[in-house]
Amino acid sequence: MELLMFYGFGLLALFAGVAMILSRQPVTSALLMILNMFCLSALYALLDAHLIAVLQLLVYAGAIMVLVLFVIMLLNLREKKGIITKHQASLQVVGVAAFGFFVMTVVSRLNTAALPKSKAASAGFGTVEAVGRILFTDYVLPFEIASVLLLAAIVGAVMLAKSKV
Amino acid sequence: MADIFPGPDIFPAGMLPSLVEMMAKIIFIFTMNMGVFAPLLGWVERKQSALMQDRIGANRADILGFTVFGLLHTLTDAIKLLTKEDFIPEGADRPLHYLAPFIAVVPALIAFAVIPFGGQYDLWGHKTNLVIADLDVGVLFVFAVASISTYGSVIAGWASNNNWSLLGGVRVAAQMLSYEVAMGLALVGIFMVYGTLRLTDIGVAQENFLHWGIFLQPLGFILFITCALAENKRTPFDIPEAESELIAGYFTEYSGLKFAMFWMAEFLEMVTISGVLVALFFGGWQIPFVSGAALARLFGFLGPNLAQVAVMLVHVAVFWAKILLWIFILMLIRWTLPRFRYDQVMKLGWKIILPLSLINILVTGLVMLLVK
Amino acid sequence: MSGAYKKVNRGVTLTLWERLYFPEVIRGVLIAAGHFVPNFVSVTKAYFGGKPSDRKIMTIYYPEEKPVLPEAYRGKPVLVRARDGRGKCVACGLCEVACPPKCISIVGGQREDGTRYPVTYVLNGAVCIFCGFCEEACPEEAIVMSDRYEGLCEYDRKPMVYDKEALLVPEEKLTRRLDYIRRRMYGKWNY
Repeated sequence: MELLMFYGFGLLALFAGVAMILSRQPVTSALLMILNMFCLSALYALLDAHLIAVLQLLVYAGAIMVLVLFVIMLLNLREKKGIITKHQASLQVVGVAAFGFFVMTVVSRLNTAALPKSKAASAGFGTVEAVGRILFTDYVLPFEIASVLLLAAIVGAVMLAKSKV
Repeated sequence: MADIFPGPDIFPAGMLPSLVEMMAKIIFIFTMNMGVFAPLLGWVERKQSALMQDRIGANRADILGFTVFGLLHTLTDAIKLLTKEDFIPEGADRPLHYLAPFIAVVPALIAFAVIPFGGQYDLWGHKTNLVIADLDVGVLFVFAVASISTYGSVIAGWASNNNWSLLGGVRVAAQMLSYEVAMGLALVGIFMVYGTLRLTDIGVAQENFLHWGIFLQPLGFILFITCALAENKRTPFDIPEAESELIAGYFTEYSGLKFAMFWMAEFLEMVTISGVLVALFFGGWQIPFVSGAALARLFGFLGPNLAQVAVMLVHVAVFWAKILLWIFILMLIRWTLPRFRYDQVMKLGWKIILPLSLINILVTGLVMLLVK
Repeated sequence: MSGAYKKVNRGVTLTLWERLYFPEVIRGVLIAAGHFVPNFVSVTKAYFGGKPSDRKIMTIYYPEEKPVLPEAYRGKPVLVRARDGRGKCVACGLCEVACPPKCISIVGGQREDGTRYPVTYVLNGAVCIFCGFCEEACPEEAIVMSDRYEGLCEYDRKPMVYDKEALLVPEEKLTRRLDYIRRRMYGKWNY
């Protein structure tokens, strides 16, 4: 059952990701990305990481993608022809080559690296309490640095916006 | 979510009662929402607004001369909406136009999965917990699902190929985004006080009348109900569908059953909001000054199991009565206040509610430190 | 951008209490509830076997309940049939002249006993504007405005042209209006 769901959501996520890149309409791309995030959240839930799953849904699918959609709709982006017209063929070749190299690297690593045996999650894994405890003990420094970084970004955004008005 | 997605051992021998219980709960919630509230709230809204404005309201539809307070208008509405032409405008994005109403309705329904409509009861040796999914993340799940429902309106606005719809969709996006943040922060105080996100635990903690959320977090309550009204897109905050400006906003181009689905989503959201309000601030299924144990003693003459059943029924009834009361109050607010302007909505969200909710967190933390 | 627009003071200055907004919201909701509760009680009472007057809402359930019209109400103009069975009209033609849309046309005649009467009296109801000038002009109290307001509209113009038979109404049924005319209108004109 769990395996079936994993494959279902995984395939859907892959499909959404690929379709998002291939789609020419910005809004469709954004919606496919939301679908992708939704599937990721379901995968997190299958891994017993409920808090992460809900946060993924809440923050990425629920807030950030709404913002992206908002901007797309505000600018009224419709279907566009490719922006790059010069050297298109050579760029495509380079892109395919780079992607192939990436895939090969990943595959070779997967072959050699010893994957950790999956084990049942311990009781209380993924709960709000457990995640909070880890976040504020072991990872408190990265957490605080991230918050300062975000604060700086907010202040910067406000400054940029203010100079324009 | 472990309850919804059990592992490979989905059907061991002892699971059958749990499965039956789960199905019963899901069916109960589904019928309450889709069968009772979704159709009836349309009637309640008409009739209540009429009486508030010294009017009579819908009273003409009758079967053999019986009007039943105009209740039959629900039926006529259903027939009308079912038989209406389902129009899709030219140039609309057809698949998305189809999809949008479903995205709007489904989250409103599944958000109720984590709201407990009763406590825990020991029925014939089987532990029954009256909530569909007793998630550890509790309220966050409601938020996540509510944020998904935003897409229903946004996609509807975009897919309709209509300027008013698009403006409505843009407004929905902006409003939802602004108030989601404030709503989450407004509830942090409650989580701090009760020390849990699990709605059943919060319900149990409110057994003492003076420990109800409204007394422990009055400011949080006011902020939350304001944000909830904004999330519901009803009148004081109905700029996305402002009739006088945008015709009907994001669902201008919808007709027939799909139009009805947007209304249903709005009403179901109202039920969900009332459910969250009751579960967090108004003691859930608890009766003031009457504990579950005292009730069980009162029904003691029925024997231990039947007494538990009686207590359960009373608690469920109390919960839904509270929800009805809150729906009444939400309707009162909706028919009392005029619509905010767009800039007022944004100002209220970012400059007033957000700072106030941060202050609320700070004060709650300080008080908790002092009390400890 | 500041300075590009002018601030207008509409003469509304709110006190701090009002600017807090929330207390005012509660006040408004309470006012609305104060309308809801009595109406709810009274409507429920009227529905379950009470009198319609138990309802405090002023709305009239029209086809089932009819409004009580004021005596000054101007409905369909009718000719008065006196108690002896004859019409009061003497075919003087004053109403014909007074009528602004000219909807009345009379052909006068004389009876055996020398009294005058209208041979035909046609009032085109589709043209009538219900102004009541004919009533004011009439020296004989022969044409008055009744309180009839139903059944005046047709899908065709022909049935709306009333002849004498369609207009004549016994005097007994018009006493209220006749009293009103004598009391109010004649007093107005210092008869």
